[in-house]
Amino acid sequence: MSHIITLEQLKKTLADKISSGAQVVAPTLRGELAFFQKIDDVNQAVLEPRVRFQNSIKEFFFPRHETIFSFVRQGSDVQLVDAPEFDVEQIVVGARPCDAASLPILDPLFAWDYQDRFFQSRRAKSTVVVFACKTSDAHCFCTAVGGAPDSTNGADAILFALDDGSFEVRCVTDKGKALFSGKTQESDKTGAACAPPSVDFDVEKIATWIRGNFASPVWEEISYRCVGCGACAFVCPTCHCFDIVDEGSYSKGKRVKNWDSCQTVLFTLHASGHNPRATQGARQRQRMMHKFVIYPDKFNAKLCTGCGACSRSCGVSFGVRPALEELAKVANQSENN
Amino acid sequence: METELRNAIRKLLEEKTVDVAIGYGRVGVNGAVGATFVTNPDDVDRLVWNNECRQNLATHLTRAEIKKLGKPAIVVKACDARAVVVLCNEAQIKREDVYVIGVVCDGIETADAAGNKTGALMGKCLSCVEHAAKNVDLLIGDEAAAKALDEKNAPNAKSVGHYEKLAKLRAMSQKERFEYWREQFSKCIRCHACRQNCPLCYCNRCVADKNRPTRIDTSSSLKGNFAWNILRAFHLAGRCVGCGACAAACPAGIELDLLNLTLANAAEDQFGYVSGKELGELPLIGTYSPTDKEEFIR
Ligand code: SF4
Ligand code: SF4
Ligand code: SF4
Ligand code: SF4
Repeated sequence: MSHIITLEQLKKTLADKISSGAQVVAPTLRGELAFFQKIDDVNQAVLEPRVRFQNSIKEFFFPRHETIFSFVRQGSDVQLVDAPEFDVEQIVVGARPCDAASLPILDPLFAWDYQDRFFQSRRAKSTVVVFACKTSDAHCFCTAVGGAPDSTNGADAILFALDDGSFEVRCVTDKGKALFSGKTQESDKTGAACAPPSVDFDVEKIATWIRGNFASPVWEEISYRCVGCGACAFVCPTCHCFDIVDEGSYSKGKRVKNWDSCQTVLFTLHASGHNPRATQGARQRQRMMHKFVIYPDKFNAKLCTGCGACSRSCGVSFGVRPALEELAKVANQSENN
Repeated sequence: METELRNAIRKLLEEKTVDVAIGYGRVGVNGAVGATFVTNPDDVDRLVWNNECRQNLATHLTRAEIKKLGKPAIVVKACDARAVVVLCNEAQIKREDVYVIGVVCDGIETADAAGNKTGALMGKCLSCVEHAAKNVDLLIGDEAAAKALDEKNAPNAKSVGHYEKLAKLRAMSQKERFEYWREQFSKCIRCHACRQNCPLCYCNRCVADKNRPTRIDTSSSLKGNFAWNILRAFHLAGRCVGCGACAAACPAGIELDLLNLTLANAAEDQFGYVSGKELGELPLIGTYSPTDKEEFIR
């Protein structure tokens, strides 16, 4: 026995949430490209499974820029006002499994030495509804990092699109149940995801090679084409580095937290002028080490869901999958020697 | 053409005329084309030339990692070649320090969101009237065919592709135009892929990166995004060669090329200046001529 929701019922569920004051985030089309956005009208949402988004759902948990506190200075008196906590209900609908999977990966990071109430409050207030994938493309490699087109990791509910336009609903958590309770009908129809994307590299083997080859010239060689921007990190659902800056004037302003990327020269540039990661090779090595060695060692999870957003967005056809494929070649060679 | 290109580069590397060749190769997912660096003459078969060679490779000429490899040969389309000229004219590189290989181009195809080619030409190519690269050391491809394409495009060059979009933009009211750019800029995530892929954004420390004090908001708020995109456009006024590398790299799909075209078009209309045309030409913004129009001074 399965549970089905029609497209109309799904829209109504979301519309009711919007009118009750909840923030609903859904796939939308802006021009020809798809973006997750907060919607004011349910008809803005494109409610069908999709592989390619220009952004990930990350920004609704860890925004592009976020105020930490604001300040007003009067004479020698400075007043600090903490930014309010996120306190509306948030429904994120239409996420891909590889988007949702980033959330449990990031949870321990934002609750480690510092309890990040910004991330935590958004997490607590949010319900994530995943659409099981119906297609994959050549950039996808969730299978290599423990994911799947029907993975429920990080999801509160997963929806399988059916041929007749309705969805099979499988609730994963109490939040998911609460959202869909009374909205579905019993049925004998069941949905299925697409076949898992194929991969011909072994991430564990590559991680072992990375551990032993910090000084390998391969890092420079594969990185010549990288121009050191922030695109791959900013579209990545798991990359989480940020910079803290003050904006405003001397008398009035705010301290904000903005996305940052380890691929830029400035990221590690010291005030003395020294840069411990002096070349793009060193910066790409950092990226791959953080994802496949450092983060797994510290938090027991790879910092990559295999979504392929990085390589889809890279202007020079690089990104994590091409990097893994290059490293797999050398890892296999060194194994055979 | 591809074989000719490979042979030429093999010879340059064998004879040690250059130390590294910057060309295109199938390096990405599913054979997607991206920059490829060849130092060994035996590796020239990694190089390709086709209508997916979207990137402007000149951006690599000023990167520290690439400079370390020695004297470069670089593969350029006509529009990319103009960027090499600007780099020389702005004293970023010396012309004799780089071996420029022009490839005759018959247009580059746009890519869809997954990076697959669409069959449609890029806007800049629809209005291109220079299919054979100029100011090069070696030109590969059929010059006569290039000339024929130039002549075919010439009559409509200023009304198709980008120019068609520009005309639409100009026909809008100021309010509509502002709304158009507001929607575009609100998508910006401040990844600076536009800057990093642009051969003419070569500053070691971009104003957007100044933080003692901050010059423009680094936040990707609407205010910060307007500041960033307008700032970049202004810094490219009279300099942008219209290669479209910025827009092609922008993960948000912002029509940056249209923004730059607005200024390039003003430079051409007002001062008869086309960036990157001639070696040795003085930069438009850096020179004054008594014949310059001054109508804008009121
Ligand atoms: S891999 Fe691509 S997207 Fe990432 S920093 Fe390098 S050029 Fe930018
Ligand atoms: S590293 Fe790339 S593939 Fe992995 S999660 Fe980030 S964007 Fe997705
Ligand atoms: S504008 Fe297009 S057709 Fe003209 S040289 Fe550049 S890429 Fe080729
Ligand atoms: S590439 Fe696009 S998204 Fe990135 S900073 Fe430039 S305009 Fe913004």
